[in-house]
Amino acid sequence: MGEKFFGKPIKRKEDPRFITGAGNYVDDITLQRQSYVAMVRSPHAHATIKSINVDKAKAHPGVIDVILGQEMLDAGIGSIPVGWLLDGLKTPPHYAITVDKARHQGEIVAAVIAEDSYTAEDAADLVEVVYDVHSAVANPAKALEGGAPQVHSDAPGNVTFNWQIGDKAATDAAFASAAKTVKLDLRNNRLIPNAIEPRASLADYNRGTQEYTLYTTSQNPHVHRLIIAAFVMGIPENKLRVISPDVGGGFGSKIFQYPEEIIVLYASKKHKRPVKWNAKRSESFLTDSHGRDHVTTAELAVDANANITGLRVKTAANMGAYLTLFAPAVPTYLYGTLLAGTYRTPNIHCEVTGVFTHTTPVDAYRGAGRPEATYLLERIVSYMAQELKMDPAEFRKKNFIGPDQFPYQTPVALAYDSGNYVPALEKALAMANYTKLRADQAEGRKNGRYIGIGFSTYLEACGLAPSAVVGSLGAQAGQWESSLVRVAPTGKVEVFTGSHSHGQGHETAFAQIVADRLGVTMEDVEIVHGDTAKMPYGWGTYGSRSGPVGTSAIVKAVEKVVNKGQKIAAHLLEAREEDLEFLEGKYQVKGSPDKAVSFGDIALQAHLAHNYPADLEPGLEASAFYDPANFVYPFGTHIAVVEVFPDTGKVEILRYIAVDDCGPQINPLIVQGQVHGGIAQGAAQALFENALYDDNAQLLSSSFMEYALPRADSLPSFEIDHTITPSPHNPLGVKGIGEAGCIASTAAVANAVNDALEPFGIRHLDMPLSPPRIWKAIQDAVPAQAAD
Amino acid sequence: MKLNGSHTINAPREKVFAMLQDPEVLAKATPGVEGMAKERDDYYKASLSLGIGPVKGTFAGSVEITEKNAPESMTLAVEGQGGPGGVKALGRLKLEDQGDKTVIHWEGEPQISGRIAAVGTRLVGGVAKKLAGQFFDSISEQAQSYES
Repeated sequence: MGEKFFGKPIKRKEDPRFITGAGNYVDDITLQRQSYVAMVRSPHAHATIKSINVDKAKAHPGVIDVILGQEMLDAGIGSIPVGWLLDGLKTPPHYAITVDKARHQGEIVAAVIAEDSYTAEDAADLVEVVYDVHSAVANPAKALEGGAPQVHSDAPGNVTFNWQIGDKAATDAAFASAAKTVKLDLRNNRLIPNAIEPRASLADYNRGTQEYTLYTTSQNPHVHRLIIAAFVMGIPENKLRVISPDVGGGFGSKIFQYPEEIIVLYASKKHKRPVKWNAKRSESFLTDSHGRDHVTTAELAVDANANITGLRVKTAANMGAYLTLFAPAVPTYLYGTLLAGTYRTPNIHCEVTGVFTHTTPVDAYRGAGRPEATYLLERIVSYMAQELKMDPAEFRKKNFIGPDQFPYQTPVALAYDSGNYVPALEKALAMANYTKLRADQAEGRKNGRYIGIGFSTYLEACGLAPSAVVGSLGAQAGQWESSLVRVAPTGKVEVFTGSHSHGQGHETAFAQIVADRLGVTMEDVEIVHGDTAKMPYGWGTYGSRSGPVGTSAIVKAVEKVVNKGQKIAAHLLEAREEDLEFLEGKYQVKGSPDKAVSFGDIALQAHLAHNYPADLEPGLEASAFYDPANFVYPFGTHIAVVEVFPDTGKVEILRYIAVDDCGPQINPLIVQGQVHGGIAQGAAQALFENALYDDNAQLLSSSFMEYALPRADSLPSFEIDHTITPSPHNPLGVKGIGEAGCIASTAAVANAVNDALEPFGIRHLDMPLSPPRIWKAIQDAVPAQAAD
Repeated sequence: MKLNGSHTINAPREKVFAMLQDPEVLAKATPGVEGMAKERDDYYKASLSLGIGPVKGTFAGSVEITEKNAPESMTLAVEGQGGPGGVKALGRLKLEDQGDKTVIHWEGEPQISGRIAAVGTRLVGGVAKKLAGQFFDSISEQAQSYES
């Protein structure tokens, strides 16, 4: 195999269409006789619906219909199911339109169908709903208190699950015999995904064929088809086609099946015409699944030689008002299993309570459980180092799992198959010029400059995962991936992948792999995704699985095509198959390059089948299904250098150094893009973003005026490098990089800010580390300092 | 969110107190009122059109005087609901006698929901104070010609 394209920083094939406005998003699709739906949403977080009067709305010119929850229930439309089950999990029904009560602000109470979107919106305001408003609860710790408002009658105490992992007795014993222990109360702040493209869905029911087509912003069209057809609508799976064309970002929020998708499908069949819904940004804030939102107590124990001996964690995880597709997995198997990180911690115990609250459902958001685990672990490790008066890099290095310890069985289920943590740390320290940095910090403090240095020597587990393993943990899904490689008579190649690109650059990265292996140009390879009528069944893109799992299926299918081509070539060259080799797009007799036939000629012959092996089927295509043998385990070291301005509490990130190890990089430009975006998102959790609810569970930060996303001037130019430790179990040795930046950076930035605040005697501040919070902490701390 | 303020009205306390019970005076004084009617003693229905920042719309609501201690104080329960969301508040008025003048001290704690809560929260305090100012200015003006 020649590597003309693999590993090269090739500009993305898809970008010209995106940056010239030639993309094709759901809202760009307009069908004949298309109608529009606007949702009537509850303004209250917790209210019984006493009555709904739709007369005025129905009488409004241009209104086609007003649909209520009871009508859909009577029509047999079911609850939107949960796709990951835990022992004892409470799963109250989640209907597209609520029938009895609103359990979070923004829950759909009625849907208004009209000839155009403006009419639908106007008429939605005319639907008169009488509510009996009840008190509500948004904070997961408060929701667990006695007397808290109850979200579901069949989930007493607002508990949806109690889950634990690790050995409690051994961990308690480790703490009892520890030389030193530390304890931190941590709030992992709630985040709102904010994909650049709001969610949109367009349903088209064909009364001739009785087929539904759903154009929707999905990261996994086949999962949408399966769930909606079989579990919600009760229609045959082969009568629903799901198309997710260009999708403008998801970060996890477009994995799930949303009420609006069910409503447009139902309304389209009822009225025999296409029905479109397009989220307004204010609806995105209120109804896209949120992320994070943990209240945690974490404790770390060390022995007299500063070896970590135990980690004890207790978390209340906010699940929101309903459980969505992967929600139960996020704060459990994607969280508790990550608590070993890169360290040899022998004893870990983690208890998680999943809590219903009167808030938007919480599910996977970039990193999904792993950022929460990494923030906790990296924060408490730095905190312990400070307590021990040890350098945080030294303390980490001392506790790393050694390169000779792999495969390494953690006490929290995962078995790491590879890793080498010191080189990434050393490289990052060298890039940072660490010794000088610490000297500069000390010098600055003398002059009233408060510089902080924060580490995150993270590990993540991604590329989910052996299907049998996730099945045994409660997944109601497989986690393999598929591909179909189809060669046309002209030698042009179509690759159908079960992965879905919504910003990841698959059309480029996947084409690089295929072009190398078939010896064709990248232009000869078209990557096709996002349409259940075209692709083989696939599980989609999330959890950084398209690199390690999606490409592995492609490599396997390409191999089958090459092998079949070799049989045809042997026939044409009158040679034995095993005497041939495939080099740079040519099958040739080993050692006789003049006796050769090109891949293009093979493709033509495969289709003509005129001069062809008697025992071989015509055509040149192959499919493959790849089920990974393990997760992949990317890791690295991130270092944030910040300055805190005590007069204002403002934080400036002065430098950001990241050394990541995702194995061999298919396309370094795309890897860098993913790392950059991930760092920005993770740093934003540390400094800016916060979904804030008031005491009535009203979302206060629900527009870009109140919800602070990072801007270009919030971030420095990142200093990025990598090490390469291949995954031992997939054909390319690649590991996911889509979430690593976001998993690592939150802790690095938070550690840096807390480090900067050390001279004030401030030991820990929760995120977001916003100017008011820091300023107030300094004000509260300064008198204590002055008294010294 | 707690709101409060004080306004001086150029009229004696008994008169001001009486005016605050008169739907005609109230309808004229309240910014954006499109209609106000007395349903029963101490209970009024109103519809008004208001804008808070980018959110504008019509609210239907009610005002109920839940406590009355003439001419010194009263407590009002205000409730409103509309396309842009809802408001629920308990307001307390204290009338301080200053001869031909009355100083009204008011305080309230509105709970807002829906779109106005989402988009307008930061603006509500400012808007409420401005509207209160307009309201009491109008009472003061109407007091010059008011006869009970």
